[in-house]
Amino acid sequence: MPATRMACPSCDLLFNLDTLQEGQSASCTRCHAFLTTRNANAFANVASFATTALVMLAVACTFPFLEFNRAGFENATTLPQTIVQLWVNNMPGLAALTAAFILVIPAMVMLLLLVLNLALMQNNYRTWVKPLANWVFHLISWSMAEVFFVGVLVSLVKIAKMAEVTIGISFWAYAAFCILFVMAISQLDRFQSWQKIEHLT
Amino acid sequence: MPNSTALEENLAACHTCLKLVSVDTGQCPRCGSTIHSRSPNSLQRTLALLITATLLYIPANTLPIMYTDQLGRTSESTILGGVVLLLKLGSYPIAAVIFIASVMVPLGKLLAMYYLCFTLQWGNPGSQRQRTQLYRLTELVGKWSMVDVFVVAILVALVNLTGIIVFRPGAAALAFAGVVITTMIAAEGFDQRLIWDHRRTVQP
Ligand SMILES: [Zn+2]
Ligand SMILES: [Zn+2]
Repeated sequence: MPATRMACPSCDLLFNLDTLQEGQSASCTRCHAFLTTRNANAFANVASFATTALVMLAVACTFPFLEFNRAGFENATTLPQTIVQLWVNNMPGLAALTAAFILVIPAMVMLLLLVLNLALMQNNYRTWVKPLANWVFHLISWSMAEVFFVGVLVSLVKIAKMAEVTIGISFWAYAAFCILFVMAISQLDRFQSWQKIEHLT
Repeated sequence: MPNSTALEENLAACHTCLKLVSVDTGQCPRCGSTIHSRSPNSLQRTLALLITATLLYIPANTLPIMYTDQLGRTSESTILGGVVLLLKLGSYPIAAVIFIASVMVPLGKLLAMYYLCFTLQWGNPGSQRQRTQLYRLTELVGKWSMVDVFVVAILVALVNLTGIIVFRPGAAALAFAGVVITTMIAAEGFDQRLIWDHRRTVQP
């Protein structure tokens, strides 16, 4: 069997990973970049974090996110309504950007990771596995769920001065989604995923 | 014996799936991506995107990012104006968040990426490891600049009580989103392995 080798994605130095034991991680000796982790449960972990994350996102999209109350006027909005509001008020650019970065891309990443990791877990190869893996690794850096959440906190402080704001269930669900998203990504390993895909082909 | 790089062994790592193949391979046998030892024209593309981002940075900071219609009066605020307003209101932590995310991060990221491009072109006495760390930092913090754009989106969508208070987005919001997106693409297209290719004799 040929040696399992990997070039550091950050500085191109070659490493032999044959001696890497289960549970161990490797990083580059020259530039300290993370290389890979051997973890037999990684695929299952990604799948379960992604499932929970998707449930949380569904909750976050269904119930009121923030309730705004001033002088008897009430405004309760869900997350999708927030985006629709931007759209109908003639701000298609802002609406599209927000929708993509805080809902569509994060949801896509979790859904694609769930499907991919289920396939890898069950050792069955499908022709769509490769294009799917190709896509999902490019999409990850464009998810801005956690950035949006900080934006929400900043907005809360700004509005607090002018009206009464009630935090809805969706606020907490979205917070949970952000955490689960990060946990799923932290278990994801590009090198191991592709090794597995090659193994299945 | 110290390890050698993939290039020194006439190998190339696929940029998509990390598979090691011979440099003259056209397409990756594993994922089908085109194989390049180093991203072609990485430096030129990154610089072109950086210049675009720099040009967008001007309207993003000079035009208003948000208009506030309150009790028949309209006021506008730029990004820096918003920070000053928060300071006046005494919201120091929030002012700090916005200042770091909207002023320091985009500016620092642009400068860092220019620095990385120029040191590749003309060599650099500084350490390669430090430059790699600088690159990783710019990659890590890049998207956090979108905070202010999201704040505008939330305020505009949520607080909409005609006659009492209405927020409207200014042109700077989209320009600023443009700065963030172009610098993110610029950083993604920058081939960090180039930092280590030149001057192998320099101590890391
Ligand atoms: Zn390295
Ligand atoms: Zn490949």
